Amino acid sequence: MAEYRTHMKIIGDILATTRDDLQDEDGASVTYLIRKANISHSRISIILKTLVSQGLLEKTGNQGSNKYKISEPGREFLQAYYTFTNFANDFGLSI
Amino acid sequence: MEFLLENILNLIGFLVGLVIGIMSYIGFRNTGSPTLFRLTIAFSSISLGFFVIWTGYMVEDFVTKTGSVERWIQTLGIAIQTVGYFFIAFSHSIKSFFPKSSYFRSVGIIPLFLVSSVQLEHIFRSVSFILLAYGAIETMLSYFDNKNKGAISVSVGLGLLALGEFVGWYSFVFPESILYSASMIIKIGGLIALFIPVSKVPLTKIKFNGDLE
Repeated sequence: MAEYRTHMKIIGDILATTRDDLQDEDGASVTYLIRKANISHSRISIILKTLVSQGLLEKTGNQGSNKYKISEPGREFLQAYYTFTNFANDFGLSI
Repeated sequence: MEFLLENILNLIGFLVGLVIGIMSYIGFRNTGSPTLFRLTIAFSSISLGFFVIWTGYMVEDFVTKTGSVERWIQTLGIAIQTVGYFFIAFSHSIKSFFPKSSYFRSVGIIPLFLVSSVQLEHIFRSVSFILLAYGAIETMLSYFDNKNKGAISVSVGLGLLALGEFVGWYSFVFPESILYSASMIIKIGGLIALFIPVSKVPLTKIKFNGDLE
């Protein structure tokens, strides 16, 4: 059975991919992120737009081939995400 | 002896609740997670509930000196704690705690106005026991899913608090027995067990960020 993922977990997966699992130095393409995060194109587009506007991701690449890299605030957010995921897990909950 | 234990219990409850509440709030501010927001409300309420009772004992000890704490203060503190226990249980997906019918919702509160504060205290203790037992079982079940050892400690903590509530409630049957003191010692053990995994959370390099929608 497929595991249910919260919105927060999907964001965590996307940020973790852009931090740990990049295709090349320019960043990860949308197609690559769709495959890694296992999420639809329409949904990931909204999330990526939000993450870029929040400063957690940086958009790189030229027009037509957008790529995404994690920013410094994104790294800090991901660190906090892991810390508080463990914190919530201690209470038998997921964030 | 009971007075001293009561003071220790309420002070520890206030501090443990406050620390976990603050950590949940920091987590909420950093991640925007609704789960952490519910935990913030839960542990803030628990902390406030213990603080109200502790304040009642302090006022009695240093100001009024009547020999016993005002019953309504005790009831108020327990009621506020019950709200906190509700939010812990609610985080474990209690979706139908209240009746769906608006009629039952409106009349359901009436019995609370027909009973004395002593009876209210019994009701709140009973509800707290159910909520805490539910939270303990759900937390233990989550351990079997993710094998997170901290969940055992939290589950034991909630379980001991539930047991403490039950023994405390049962002590009304045998008022002069050791049961009430035992209930407070059990609850102190529960609060310590709750705090153990939380004390291991590394908070270095975590700062407040804007909420993520």
